[in-house]
Amino acid sequence: MRKSRIGADDKPMRFEDERFLMCHQCSQCSGVCPSERQGGINPREIVMRYAAGIADPSDGVLWLCTMCHSCAERCQLDVRPAELISMLRQEGAEKGSCPRSFQEEAKLFMRTGLSFPSTGLTKKIRKEMGLPELVQDARTVEDIALIASKTRLGRVRLE
Amino acid sequence: MSDGSYLFRGCLIPTRLPYLESSSKYVIDRMGIDAKDLPGASCCVEPIGLKTIAEDTWMVTVARMLAIAERDGRDVLTLCNGCYLSFVEAMHVLRTKERADKVNEVLDQIGLEYKGDVKVRHILDLVHSLGEERLRALVSTDVSMVHVAPHTGCHVLRPSGIGLVEIPYAPRMLADVATWSGARVDHSEEWPECCGGGVSSIDETLSSKMLERVTGRYKGSGANCILTPCPFCFSQFDLRQKEGLPVLYISELLAMAMGAPANVVGLKYHRIRTNF
Ligand code: SF4
Ligand code: SF4
Repeated sequence: MRKSRIGADDKPMRFEDERFLMCHQCSQCSGVCPSERQGGINPREIVMRYAAGIADPSDGVLWLCTMCHSCAERCQLDVRPAELISMLRQEGAEKGSCPRSFQEEAKLFMRTGLSFPSTGLTKKIRKEMGLPELVQDARTVEDIALIASKTRLGRVRLE
Repeated sequence: MSDGSYLFRGCLIPTRLPYLESSSKYVIDRMGIDAKDLPGASCCVEPIGLKTIAEDTWMVTVARMLAIAERDGRDVLTLCNGCYLSFVEAMHVLRTKERADKVNEVLDQIGLEYKGDVKVRHILDLVHSLGEERLRALVSTDVSMVHVAPHTGCHVLRPSGIGLVEIPYAPRMLADVATWSGARVDHSEEWPECCGGGVSSIDETLSSKMLERVTGRYKGSGANCILTPCPFCFSQFDLRQKEGLPVLYISELLAMAMGAPANVVGLKYHRIRTNF
C-alpha cells in the first residue's frame, strides 16, 4: 500500500481549493516532513498529484501522515499540504479506505462520545488515586449520535 | 470577564493516564483557579485521525462544547495538545459566518448555540501566564535534580496563524516553566519535531523511527528526562521507547515542585521509571 497509483482514476480534475495549485514543487515541505524522512508520505508528491488531477483518495500512503503540520509551517506559499491530505482522506474514508484503527475509534466515538475506552486498569488507577469513576452521561451520548448522523462521520464506510 | 474555567480532560488522560489528571487538578487548585469538569464533555474529535475523516463532525462536536462553556460564562482549559488544537482551530474556522450558521443548524436541535464568545487555554499557557515570580512563590520542594529536555509537541505551535499560543520556531514557554519550577533545562528546541505518535496505530515501524530521531537528540543532551505538555507525546515516549529517557508531563513536574505527595503525582505508574 506504500506506492501511489498514478492515473488510477479517470474522473475529471476537481479543484476544490485553488491554494493547492500554487505549489511550485520546491520540496521545502518534504524536507521537514518527519514521515517522508523515514520512508512514509511525501507531501510535495501529494500536492503534485492533486495539481495534475491524478490524486488517489484511496491511496494507503495518505494515512502515514501524523498531521504534525510541519509541511504547512515551512511552505512559503501557504499551500498547506496537510490540509490537502485531510481532504483526500475524507473522500477515501467514504469509499472504505479508512484504516482499521481509525474505524474502531470512529465506532467508539459514535457509541460512547469518547475515543478511548475505559478499562479495568482505568478503574483501578482512578480508585487508587482517589479520582471519581468515569461515567458518560446519556445526554452527551445522544447528542454525539445526533451530530454524527447529521455530518460526515455518519457516512464513513465502516467494516 | 468569565466566571472561571471548565476543565476539559479529553479522552486519553482520564482513561489511560489518570495520574496526569490527578497532578493537573492539584496544580490548578494550588494556583487558585476555579476549574470544574466541563459538563457534557465528549471527545474533541482528535486532529490526527477522527477529524481528518469527518471535518464537519469535528466542527459541530467542538462547537457543542464551546457553546456549553459560553452559555455558562466559563473558559475552557485543556490538558492536551490535540484537544487544544481541536478547540482553537474550530474557533478559527467558525469565524466564517456561513460555517457557524451550518454548525448552529445542528446545535439548534440539541438546544445550543455557538456565538464565538469563549476563550480556550492550554495548561502550558495558563501556568506560563502566571509569570516567574508568582510561579516561584508556589514552589516549596527542590526539583533541581530534574534535568529536562523540553518537548513542546506539535499542536500548541503548529499550524501558525490560527491563534495557537506558542510560536513555531524556538518555543520558550515550556523551558521557562521548567526553569521557574526549579528544574534544570538541558536542551533547547529550535524546530520542534513530531514524536511520531500520530501513526503509531497505522505503521509501528515508521512511528518508532520518528520517535528514535527525536529522542536521540534528547539523550545526547545530558537531560535525565523529557518534559512535555502533551499526553499523546507522553504516551509515545513512555510506552514506545525501547531503552529510553523517562518522561514527565508538565503537571507532574509542577506538582512535585509544589510539594504534592507521591500518590498525587503517581510516578509509579510510568513504564519507564524516573530515577531522581
Ligand atoms: S507545498 Fe509548498 S513547500 Fe511543498 S513543494 Fe509545494 S510550494 Fe514547496
Ligand atoms: S503534516 Fe503530514 S505530510 Fe505534513 S509534515 Fe507532518 S507528517 Fe509530513
